[in-house]
Amino acid sequence: MTTAIRLEDVHKSYDHRDVLTGVSLDVPRGGKLGLIGPAASGKSVILKLICGLEQPDRGTIEVLGQNIVGKREAPLGDLRQRIGMLFQNYALFDFLDVKGNVAFPLEQRGGMSPDEIAKRVETRLRAVGLAGSEHKLTSELSGGMKKRVGIARATVADAEIVIYDEPSAGLDPVTTQKIYDLLAADHARTHATVLAVSSDVVALAQFVDEIAFLYRGQIVYRGPAATIVDAPDPIVRQFVRGELEGPLAEVRA
Amino acid sequence: MIDEPPAGSLDHLRPQRDEPPPPSPETGIVSRAFEGIGGGAIRIAQEVGGIVVLSGQVLRALVPPRIDRRELVKNLYKMGNRSVPIVVLTAFFAGGLMTLQAGPFVIKFGAAALAGWAAGYAVLREMGPILIALMFSGRVGANNTAELATMTVTEQLDGLRALAIDPVQFLVVPRVIAMITMLFALTIIGDFVALAGAAIVARVMLGIEWSTMYHSFADNLRPYDFFHGVYKSLAFGGAIAMSSCYFGITVRGGAVGVGRAVNAAVVAAAVSIMLLDFFLTYTTG
Repeated sequence: MTTAIRLEDVHKSYDHRDVLTGVSLDVPRGGKLGLIGPAASGKSVILKLICGLEQPDRGTIEVLGQNIVGKREAPLGDLRQRIGMLFQNYALFDFLDVKGNVAFPLEQRGGMSPDEIAKRVETRLRAVGLAGSEHKLTSELSGGMKKRVGIARATVADAEIVIYDEPSAGLDPVTTQKIYDLLAADHARTHATVLAVSSDVVALAQFVDEIAFLYRGQIVYRGPAATIVDAPDPIVRQFVRGELEGPLAEVRA
Repeated sequence: MIDEPPAGSLDHLRPQRDEPPPPSPETGIVSRAFEGIGGGAIRIAQEVGGIVVLSGQVLRALVPPRIDRRELVKNLYKMGNRSVPIVVLTAFFAGGLMTLQAGPFVIKFGAAALAGWAAGYAVLREMGPILIALMFSGRVGANNTAELATMTVTEQLDGLRALAIDPVQFLVVPRVIAMITMLFALTIIGDFVALAGAAIVARVMLGIEWSTMYHSFADNLRPYDFFHGVYKSLAFGGAIAMSSCYFGITVRGGAVGVGRAVNAAVVAAAVSIMLLDFFLTYTTG
């Protein structure tokens, strides 16, 4: 199976603070990898690096066979059109309504008639349960609805790689389940490569094939999602189980 | 030629705005003063450098023109049409005030025929363009900075980049064009309103005849006086546009950062307007 995403010895720091200190990671084409780790461990940074929104201080990042380190905006643009991204804070465009947000990637890309775009957007909005909310402004939406608009926008163009940053953060359990069912249905349809970051490990584990644990700037564990609760690494086990006592607490203290 | 920025957010525009390290207790007061002045000068140079780089990116996006028409029309309307009332009000009173200030003296010296010229000359060449630009900066520039800064802190700019859309080309270029165009148009409107204001105040409050004011304008003011103010408005529009967009897209730090960005943009625009006015007046008379 070929690799869709490959990171090798990636380092990144902000304001003299080391966030990533040698991350190596790969995601096979069509695979679903979950990324977990303590707060502020650099999970979202990895996602932005993969999308080319940030550049690493050093290391190699290959996405769909292309090395993206040091690439300029224009050539990166072609690659980004093959990636869909759901941002942690939605990043919905407040100058557009719901329909405009979802249609935006297709309109900007070109090559589709307005009728085709309208039909595709209508289908996507129905799939995420937002039929009837087409003309609402993003400021009129609840957190769950914003999330679903973000998912619709990230997946409307049937991207080869879909990146989800906290798809269920701040949502109630029922909405969380709905969101993950939606993501699973979408993956079954497109077979896109998925990389998802989530703090809700239980829900994430039901969706992805494997889970990697980011800790102190490195991937310290990677294993099957189904058995993450019983991971051999005590730090991962403690994190997943949410236990107060253990090596994670000792190290963090 | 301006190089295309490397990938990786808009960091190439964003200066380090970290606070300088506190001076050690042994540092003398003179050294501290020099450190403060030096630090301030470096920060200003960084901001000016960022604005110059952004201006280069805007110019490059214009050759060939790649402008989102929907964004341009929206901004032309929002920045232009909605500013007309405040500009008309400002210009009317600017013209009236000039007459009110100069009127008693010209009457005292029997030079009522010069009242229109005095007011018109001051308003067309200096007061009109500057006051309108400052009003425009306060209303449109500040709003633009707040809007872009909010979009930046809510990751909407990253959202655009993730969709392979250049935020400078999509958001900044239409705003720059709209601001320059609309300040130019508003200055022309404002000039005529200011002359009307001068004439009305002269008639109502100073008893100077309409015909006296008309002849004072027509006989003494040259077309150059009008164009001198109007072409300066193009430079003022550019300064307001670039500073408001620059501080908007380089903001850091959430809501507090947005507030700081708006403040910095308004101050930078006001200082730029004064400096440009001095420079342009000195070089072109």
